[in-house]
Order: sequence, then C-alpha cells, then structure tokens
Amino acid sequence: MVKKKKSVQEATAMAESRAVEDAMSVSKMRASLKEIKKFDGVIGYILRNSTSAAIDIKDSTKIMDYAVLSSSAFDAGEEFSELFDLGGIENIVIEGKDVKVLSLTINENNISIFMEKNADCNKILRKLREL
Amino acid sequence: MDNDVYSFALKTTLSEIRKVCPDVTNAFIFTKDKEIIARDKSTPEKTILRVIDAFDGILEKSDAIGGVKCITLEGGKGKVNVSCVNDLYLVTIASRKADLSYVNTVTHVLIPTVLKLLDKIRPAPLKSSSLTPKLEPKLTKVKEIEETAEEPAEETVEHEIKPESLLPEPPVIQFMVENLGGLLVPSDAVRIDSEALSQWKELYGDRKIKEVEIETFDGKATRCKVTPIKDSKYKGKGVIQMPKKIRLTLEIKKGELVRVKPIVE
Repeated sequence: MVKKKKSVQEATAMAESRAVEDAMSVSKMRASLKEIKKFDGVIGYILRNSTSAAIDIKDSTKIMDYAVLSSSAFDAGEEFSELFDLGGIENIVIEGKDVKVLSLTINENNISIFMEKNADCNKILRKLREL
Repeated sequence: MDNDVYSFALKTTLSEIRKVCPDVTNAFIFTKDKEIIARDKSTPEKTILRVIDAFDGILEKSDAIGGVKCITLEGGKGKVNVSCVNDLYLVTIASRKADLSYVNTVTHVLIPTVLKLLDKIRPAPLKSSSLTPKLEPKLTKVKEIEETAEEPAEETVEHEIKPESLLPEPPVIQFMVENLGGLLVPSDAVRIDSEALSQWKELYGDRKIKEVEIETFDGKATRCKVTPIKDSKYKGKGVIQMPKKIRLTLEIKKGELVRVKPIVE
C-alpha cells in the first residue's frame, strides 16, 4: 500500500517536473522568436503545440491565411515523409514571390516564421537550432 | 497528338535529369490545374495524386505570399523540391546527400528549354494525354454506347422491345477518394462530382440514381447512397468524398482511386 502510494507520488512529481520543463521550453522558444522577429525582413511567426498557440504577425489581415498555410505545410510534410520514406521532417521552406515561410518542429512545437523573400533563412534556422 | 509530344518530351527530360543527378529518386510534373503532365517510371500515378492533394492547402493559400515559387522540404532520409516552372510544378525527390542546388540548376535549365523548344516546334496547350483520370472521355464513350443502343430500336419497330433493354451499360468512372466527416454527415452515403451525376441523369432521363456501386482496384466493392458534392472547389476534379465507415469497408485511404458505377432504378 505504502509502496503504491509512493509510486503514485513519484509519477505525479515526474509529470509536474515535465510540465515545468515544457513550460520553460515554450517560454524560452517565445523569447527566441521575439528576438528573431527583430531580424531583418522577418514579418512574424506562429508557434503552435497541442495545448497553446502564439501568433505575432505584423499584418493582422493575413493571420488566417498564414495560419492555414503553416498548418498545410506541416500536413504536406507528413504526407511526403510517408509517401517517399523521408524520415522525420527537419524543415520546410515555402518561397513565394513576396514572402518566404520557414516551418519546423522543435520539441513537439510547430514553428512557422514568415519573412520577406530576401531575408536570411539560414540565420533564423541556426538561431532556432540553438534551442 | 500534340499532348503526346509534350508528355513524351517531358518524360524523357525527367529520365535525363535522373541520369545526370543519380540522387534524384522520383520526379514528376503537374499543372496548376492539378493535371499530371509527366512522371518517371518509379513514381506511381496514385502517389502523385496524393502529393497533389497534399499540396492543395498550400497552393490554395499561396496568394498570401504572392504565389508559390519554390518549396523545399528536408527530411532525415531525403529531400523534396517543388519548383514552379512556366506554370508547371516540377517535383523532385532526392536522397539526403543530394546537392539540391545542383539538381535545381539542372532542372531549371532543362525543363524551360524543352518547353520553349516544344512551343516553337508545335504550340499546344499543356495537357496530359492519358495520365490524370478525367470524367469527359469516359462519359463520351458512354454517349457513344447510348447512340449505338438506340439504333436497333429504330430499325426493329415491329418487335416489342422493353425500355429496360435500351438502357445503356452503366458507365464506370474513376474517382479519387477524399475524406468526408462531420456531425451531420451520414455514414452510408458518398458525395461525388455534380457534373458526373448530371451527366448520368442526362443519360438515363427520368430514372433515378440514388445509389452507386464503388469498386476498389483490389476488387473490394460496396453499394451506397450518393449525393452531389456541395463544395465548389471540388467541381470537375474527379473526386469522391467518402465517410470513414465506407472507407473502412473498402479498406481504402484518401488519395486512392476507385471505380464508381451508377445504380439505375
């Protein structure tokens, strides 16, 4: 009985510590994204995980379109990976005539960065990989 | 004939690209209207249809970024590049070690050159000759059957012929499976292109078509109710929207092809 109680306590403690770690990781990510948003040519970002979402886009009229585009990119990535056995998707870059989108998943967080077509995508990627 | 030339030339170009860049495992081309123009031998049509479907969401919202110019996808084991060349989407799938910039240089030189050449030799609209499932050719076949079926009726006026015997053979149309879900969606009915339904109606006059017979390429078949697709974006796309229950019965997934035949009452 005591043993069972102890194991329940341990599991609860582990879950709590994991939740704290996750929250810290997300807050760290948000801080990093805020920094990235100051980079030359960056228009904004969308950060989404199973429990929350954060959107920071300069032009609010584009939020819906960008959100759909971002989620479509992740869906397409999964489909491609399954169809052609590409393994885990590391990043997706969609280049438009005006805007470029970089999408990647870090610790189960889906991130999409929107930037002008001349912005340095690799610099952003390097910054995100530090996380 | 012109389409065959285009298709053949582009298919040959894709094979050449694969020879020059051995790391390229698959390559194919489709139009903005989601029509397959050319594909290499190693990529089945079914796979390409699923790819086109996967791109749908991106292409639909691509106006927000000024239209898609290029898409690059990096996976642990391979890479994908989608380039928009002369209103065509060229998709190349390469191994992880492939130098995508080299592959892109080759493709961006070869494809436009071949297209320009073809345009100079014989200008024609870009359309696949037989690759993408289309409604029209099959329905014209049905119309031909209808016409031939009517001929003997005129000749043998004296014989008593039941109207049922004049009915043309139910036309079989190939559709691509799309998922259908939602709270108010009945699980025993599929939705198909309203164009196909209206052409069936034209073919059978007053007779009602409430049900269809669906058959997979593995030979599994089922009969279920049918209604037209409401969403205009699927008009003329050769799509069948299918609820989960029917998909499970047929053991089929989104993007796969099925044959559909009307049940005429």
